[in-house]
Amino acid sequence: MSVAPIAITGMGCICAAGGNQADSMNALLRGERRLGPPVRFASNHPIRYPVFEVADFEEPPDLLRTSAFALHAAREAVADTGLDRRTLGTLRVGVCVGTTVGTVMSEETFCRGYLAGDVPDMAPVRRILRSNPADVIAREFGLSGPRQTVVTACSSGTDALGIAGSWIRAGLYDAAIAGGADELGRITYIGFISLMITDDSSCKPFDRHRRGLNLGEGAAMLVLASEAVTRRTGMRARSFLLGYGSAGDAYHLTAPRPDGAGLRSAISEALATSGVSPASVAFVNAHGTGTPDNDRVESRVLRDMLPGIPFLSTKGYTGHTLGAAGAIEAVVTAACLEMGKIPANAGFETPDPEIANTPVREVTTVSGSVALSESLAFGGNNSVVVLGKA
Amino acid sequence: MTTVEKLKTILVEELHLEELTPGDIDENAPLFGEGLGLDSLDAVELVVIIQKHFGVEIKDLDEGKTAFQSVQALASYIEGRLKNG
Amino acid sequence: MSGTGRIVIEGVGAVGGFGCGVSDLSRALNGSARSPGTFALSTGSGPIEFPAFRADVSRLEEFLPVRTLRRIDRFSRLALLGSHLALADAGLPDAERPRLGIIVASGYGATGITYAFLKSFITDGDICASPTYFANSVHNSAAAHISIQLGARGPNLTVSDFHLSVPSALATARIWLEEERVQRVLFGAVDELSELIGYIRYRTRGASPASPMTPLRTEMETSIPAEGAAFLLLARENASRGGYCTLETSVTGSLPFPGFPLPQPGLLVLGADGCRESGRRYAAEAQHARVACYTPLYGSMPAGPAFDVAAAALLLKGGTVFPSPGGSFLDFPATVPAGGDPIGTDRIACITLDADGAYGWTTLGKLPGTTGR
Repeated sequence: MSVAPIAITGMGCICAAGGNQADSMNALLRGERRLGPPVRFASNHPIRYPVFEVADFEEPPDLLRTSAFALHAAREAVADTGLDRRTLGTLRVGVCVGTTVGTVMSEETFCRGYLAGDVPDMAPVRRILRSNPADVIAREFGLSGPRQTVVTACSSGTDALGIAGSWIRAGLYDAAIAGGADELGRITYIGFISLMITDDSSCKPFDRHRRGLNLGEGAAMLVLASEAVTRRTGMRARSFLLGYGSAGDAYHLTAPRPDGAGLRSAISEALATSGVSPASVAFVNAHGTGTPDNDRVESRVLRDMLPGIPFLSTKGYTGHTLGAAGAIEAVVTAACLEMGKIPANAGFETPDPEIANTPVREVTTVSGSVALSESLAFGGNNSVVVLGKA
Repeated sequence: MTTVEKLKTILVEELHLEELTPGDIDENAPLFGEGLGLDSLDAVELVVIIQKHFGVEIKDLDEGKTAFQSVQALASYIEGRLKNG
Repeated sequence: MSGTGRIVIEGVGAVGGFGCGVSDLSRALNGSARSPGTFALSTGSGPIEFPAFRADVSRLEEFLPVRTLRRIDRFSRLALLGSHLALADAGLPDAERPRLGIIVASGYGATGITYAFLKSFITDGDICASPTYFANSVHNSAAAHISIQLGARGPNLTVSDFHLSVPSALATARIWLEEERVQRVLFGAVDELSELIGYIRYRTRGASPASPMTPLRTEMETSIPAEGAAFLLLARENASRGGYCTLETSVTGSLPFPGFPLPQPGLLVLGADGCRESGRRYAAEAQHARVACYTPLYGSMPAGPAFDVAAAALLLKGGTVFPSPGGSFLDFPATVPAGGDPIGTDRIACITLDADGAYGWTTLGKLPGTTGR
């Protein structure tokens, strides 16, 4: 039942850890955690929750910050392939982007004005309607192929990769720019605080004293192509998308299923489609948000299905970037496979007696050629990609 | 209106318990699990409801655990917080 | 594609301005259209009121107890109703539900509850933001509620590409079935005419006219805003017990693109919905074709193309063309068959175009054994 590998020929990334893929990865390996109270917006909430904002990035006035991130990462990814735009234009290229903010009609200034009985300026609404991140990328590169915007909350980035891979295998396009993007704004910040799942200090994934997540922002894009197209155009594969699995918990809008059944199914499907055995997995990039529920459920599933396999959360360096998370973490996973090492699970100090396994505590050499990256979402979606070393 | 009565009205309205009236709620029955059958999302909503209607802030859910045992327990907790500031 | 690999539309469920369920949709398609209702708002510049196609979700209580619905907002209720209607129409046994894949497409998402969330902190301060409203405002909340109520633990996807959401999501639905990830996909599109969307519509296009939509009179703006949900139960043919028609392809892209102009089918169901800027594109691309257009029965919304597919499915099963409402088509450069005409083809394409040149087309085929000439 295993499927043909899809080549990853270019990667781009922007997040609090760095403005490009290499800088971000180096910051992770150096253990840098760049978080602090939000600078770009204010809240009258009495507690200032730390977040991972992207520094030194101004979006153009006519584009949502989310879509500007997406574009930035897409440009880096396409440049990384070495393909010139003319050659790119001869291929059928699709775009598949995950996001939570990027398509939502949720604009505070406009709504405040309307609620106050004013006639608010329509510019913010027009900006949203023009900023669908998949459309923005397609327009930038003059692409006329299919595009899809995936809005499955925190698993959007992982799902976008899996879907783009299946579109390439189905022959709907030759190549894809796929990934995820999300900005951090007031509305998201206030919403997560209201759910009481945010930590008022730096997050501690899998740690006994974990109290919640820190929000982040950013984007990552990957250029995917069939092996035939990769050969024909002279692109080189940095990594391979070997498989994908996803399944729903069908349990609750915000809490994960206690037995982790959805994640178990997703991992099983991902391993089956990639033809990879659990024992051959070099490491797992976990979702690891630092919330009590997620980390407890996820670690138990990893203990049962991938016993003894090193795992880590990188959200201690990037924050939880929502729709971008799955894509940023896929880029990190591919880079780790290239470099043969994984960063430490930032924020972990004290094992939790309820959690039978512990994440890696220091930069660790890995010699295997296959890794997993997983994402668990509100609404109970669980998604997993399997990446292979080139 | 006593705090218990006020709470019952607020719960029915804010948690959209449409098939119940305030009078149907037993102030000593559990709020979560059995009894009223609320869940974890209702718990965080309750924190906001208490902030909005009584000005009492519950900083984390451990603090809320004893308070959320029943309507009566919640009323006593709120009255205690309001008295002590 | 071989017989065993074909995909079948087994069930149709829809709710909108035309009514609720396949019988109401069929009645509307056969000529008994309902007049639109009204959208009313008080705004900073005074009260506004204009025609709109409103949906009635009260029949949801036939499927789910009231207590279950207590925290579920209107957007998710529309989706839940559409999905349950489709499953009932297909007669799917409950035991099949856990294995369903679920895909929901929406242009604007849950704007009603999103606005309610913003109001909760705008009015009472950031500390009073409602977590329940926030959790329900996430775009995939409808798909989540469907999976929770059905106990469906297969893959779950929500897609939002404004007016191309439906053909885009249907393409992925087909792939899931071709790959045999699942044997059945419950696919649907839903859009809600919330206060916020109605106000934005008013500010961008003005009030909708008091007259019926005439989408094939492409020089005029005649769109009437709408809400609703249209769901299809899709199955691999070898797992299916029959249904309306086959789902052959679903493709999206932007003009120009190899393979466009239009595919081979002998009948095109156009998604023209009275918006002038896209109306011109329909006129340009459908020249000399044989076309039908049913949007005046359910109105203008990004989820509209799913209703077009539902109409096309009923058409293929019944064997004759439904009349295209909207008066005379003398100035539209294509042939519009009359109600009762034979379909005259085994294949129909539903076409969606937007003003910027993006397109989607979904091709449906006749199932062997269905009536019709």
